[in-house]
Amino acid sequence: MSSSCPSSLRGEDSRRRQRATAGDEALASRRGKVNFARVKRLALAAVILASQFVLLEAAIRWHGGSEVAPAFQALFTRDPEIGHRLQPGASARFTTVEFSTDLRINAQGVRDDEDIGPKAPGERRIVVLGDSLVLSVQVPLVQTFCERLEARLNAAASGVRWRVINAGVQGYGPVQEWFFFDRVAAAFEPDVVLVVVFVGNDAIEAHDTRAWLDAGRPLSSAQPAIGRLREILRSSVVLQIVRLRWDLLRSKLATAAPERPLASYLAEPPPEVMSGVAVTRQAIEKIDGRARAVGARTGIVLMPARFQTDDADHRALSATVARAGGELVRDAATERLRDGLAPLELPTLDLLPVLARQPDRTGLFFQRNVHLTPRGHDVVAGALLQFLQDAAFVER
Amino acid sequence: MVFNSIHFVAFFVVAYALYRALPHRAQNWMLVAASYYFYAAWDWRFLGLLAGSTVVDFFVARYLWRATDPGRRRWALVGSLAFNLGMLGFFKYFNFFEESLAALFATLGWQLDFVTLNVLLPIGISFYTFMTISYVIDVYRGDIQPADNFIDFALFVAYFPHLVAGPILRASLLLPQIARPRTIHRTQVVEGLWLVGWGYFQKMFVADNLARLVDTVFGPSATPTGLDVLVATYAFAFQIYGDFAGYSNIARGVSKLMGIELNVNFLFPYFVTSPQEFWRNWHISLSTWLRDYLYIPLGGNRGGERRTNRNLMITMALGGLWHGAAWTFVLWGVYQGLVLVIARRIARLGGARGWRVPAGLTWPRVLLGLVMFHVTCYGWLVFRAESVAQLAEFSRLLVTDLRPSASTVGSLLVPCVLTIAPLLAVHIHQARRGSELAPLAAPLPWRYAVYGAVFYLVLLFGDFEGAQFIYFQF
Repeated sequence: MSSSCPSSLRGEDSRRRQRATAGDEALASRRGKVNFARVKRLALAAVILASQFVLLEAAIRWHGGSEVAPAFQALFTRDPEIGHRLQPGASARFTTVEFSTDLRINAQGVRDDEDIGPKAPGERRIVVLGDSLVLSVQVPLVQTFCERLEARLNAAASGVRWRVINAGVQGYGPVQEWFFFDRVAAAFEPDVVLVVVFVGNDAIEAHDTRAWLDAGRPLSSAQPAIGRLREILRSSVVLQIVRLRWDLLRSKLATAAPERPLASYLAEPPPEVMSGVAVTRQAIEKIDGRARAVGARTGIVLMPARFQTDDADHRALSATVARAGGELVRDAATERLRDGLAPLELPTLDLLPVLARQPDRTGLFFQRNVHLTPRGHDVVAGALLQFLQDAAFVER
Repeated sequence: MVFNSIHFVAFFVVAYALYRALPHRAQNWMLVAASYYFYAAWDWRFLGLLAGSTVVDFFVARYLWRATDPGRRRWALVGSLAFNLGMLGFFKYFNFFEESLAALFATLGWQLDFVTLNVLLPIGISFYTFMTISYVIDVYRGDIQPADNFIDFALFVAYFPHLVAGPILRASLLLPQIARPRTIHRTQVVEGLWLVGWGYFQKMFVADNLARLVDTVFGPSATPTGLDVLVATYAFAFQIYGDFAGYSNIARGVSKLMGIELNVNFLFPYFVTSPQEFWRNWHISLSTWLRDYLYIPLGGNRGGERRTNRNLMITMALGGLWHGAAWTFVLWGVYQGLVLVIARRIARLGGARGWRVPAGLTWPRVLLGLVMFHVTCYGWLVFRAESVAQLAEFSRLLVTDLRPSASTVGSLLVPCVLTIAPLLAVHIHQARRGSELAPLAAPLPWRYAVYGAVFYLVLLFGDFEGAQFIYFQF
């Protein structure tokens, strides 16, 4: 075709092609510049976001004020025989909007200002096992029910010096309480062992660790890759907060199941609740056996959740559970654990009626966390003294 | 349904997708349906009030436009006002007046059995009744034409971004935008997204975190010192600002995304040097409403100083009562009225003696700004107090017990400063350029730094529990 065209037209065509090519190049160059500018902007945004991430990580670590803060996390250490425990000799100040507490862990790894040595003549000891509701980082040591109980026992007794050892550890369930008693607290030469069962989540936690009970030690359930991912997540305070946000978001979706601990209160509980009650019974049976071996007697204390005594809290949680299609039965968890532990035939104190008959029930627990206030600790200490006397653990 | 809930996010995503897909008339139908759903999500039983107010004022306004007899027009206007104010008075103030009268008679030794009704306050009633009242009055005055289309008017009244907490929009601004097809510009989308993000920051990071601090001091079991009260009052000043300005910004941002412009409701009200300036920058839609439909009809500043002062006091006392059915709100309104009267007096004296505050960022202006901030803060103490007795006790503590408690620094002051500082940092930049959109024009690195900070602070420290906005109760 081109050979039949006049030369002037061929020239024009060629110039047009050249212009088109030049235009394409300019367009491509412009596109390239646009793309490069976009990449530069994205890179700038990424650098700024990463810098702010590092800055926030450092700021939160420095400021603390949350359980995920390293200052608080430094109170804990891993233990292959138990899972985790309090770091012997650690100390920290834990501050939130509601409280500011100085915490000290003694050389034996329990919350106490004094170390635990051999028993002195005339000394009698009570070891209190449990989770965060026993540890009570929200109040000064002297205001915990363990310390208050010790003071009351010593005020009432003559010729005997009582020592009440707070062996509670944040995050423990019945199985870890058994491990801790077996490996650590049995050596404290107790005369009485009190197992404080938090009815809110102990059954579910026991179910989750049932394989540990059979194995006699903690097991790692995560795959290596997931484990590494968790390591990274746990090493960053910012990422831990993001994870908490994600959990909250999921729990807010109407289709989400109620929070797992609430499963113990459902009218129709999932199978893991009753399985957890059975595991709790087995763990306490082991604690009791070991306690007998060191010459101690065991008692059980059932600790209710805040909403079981706080009406407003109960209404809010009932509505949450109802939205998810469930029915919350206020005292179901207490009843299930009480019935489930009855075959052990151990003296048992249910704190629910004691707390429920207090005049100002909303003042027994903090409002922004589910732990006892100083007044709540005082009420519990009084109930424990009565229980110890009634069950002949101590003389009147 | 509150803006800071998952429910709203899901609602808006669906509504916005439909909005972008539909033609203009169908958009308006859809927005009316969406707005009624939005309202019903709180309590469907009060939809009747909203619909009733819409129907009555639509037809009254059309009658006012057609009628020529002045007497009949006046009666129609009075009928509409009686309907709207009667509805507002019954639902908002019945319990208040009944209890106050009973208490008054009890002090005289008379036990009277009033009719006791547990009247619920329909959310947003103060906002939409004020909008329909201004619409009817504007038509009566001949300032605007009535809406031709009922759906357009129903959307004007019920438009979900402003429905439950304002801004109190004028028909002259919103109705033309509803009536004509809307185009959404890229700039509007960018500005809308920024306002939504900034609004969430003001609400979820600033207001909700400060609320926790404030509640610990104003709560029933608190035993604060005077310094605790002072810090908590500062915190409340920023809490109520973050709460309400945040809501207004989310409303504006959401509207911009739909191509609708709402008026600015807050313009850096704590950077002012006089009470008059404060009210030109705080809850602008309410203060201009009170000016145009109450203060000026009462006579405004015509008729001498005494009448002006009287008009100011009446306007501000009623403005206080608008905020809630409690004596502390009335006291707050009276306090604001007194502050305005005193400030006018000082300005007049200063003018006669040639006092002038230098322009720009000068020390006299900064000092005056600080004084004004504290005058405003005392007003917030009156506003926030749980009762008149608590107000009296806290006022006493401020004078006689200005010492720190064990928790003043660690649990109050430090968290308060850490929460307010990021807001102020951006605010100073915005105020110097006179617009909340100023960060959009900042150099790229600064812009990204602000976006990143807002994102992280809301994500990590924002309250995701869906706390109610303070102004919902009004």
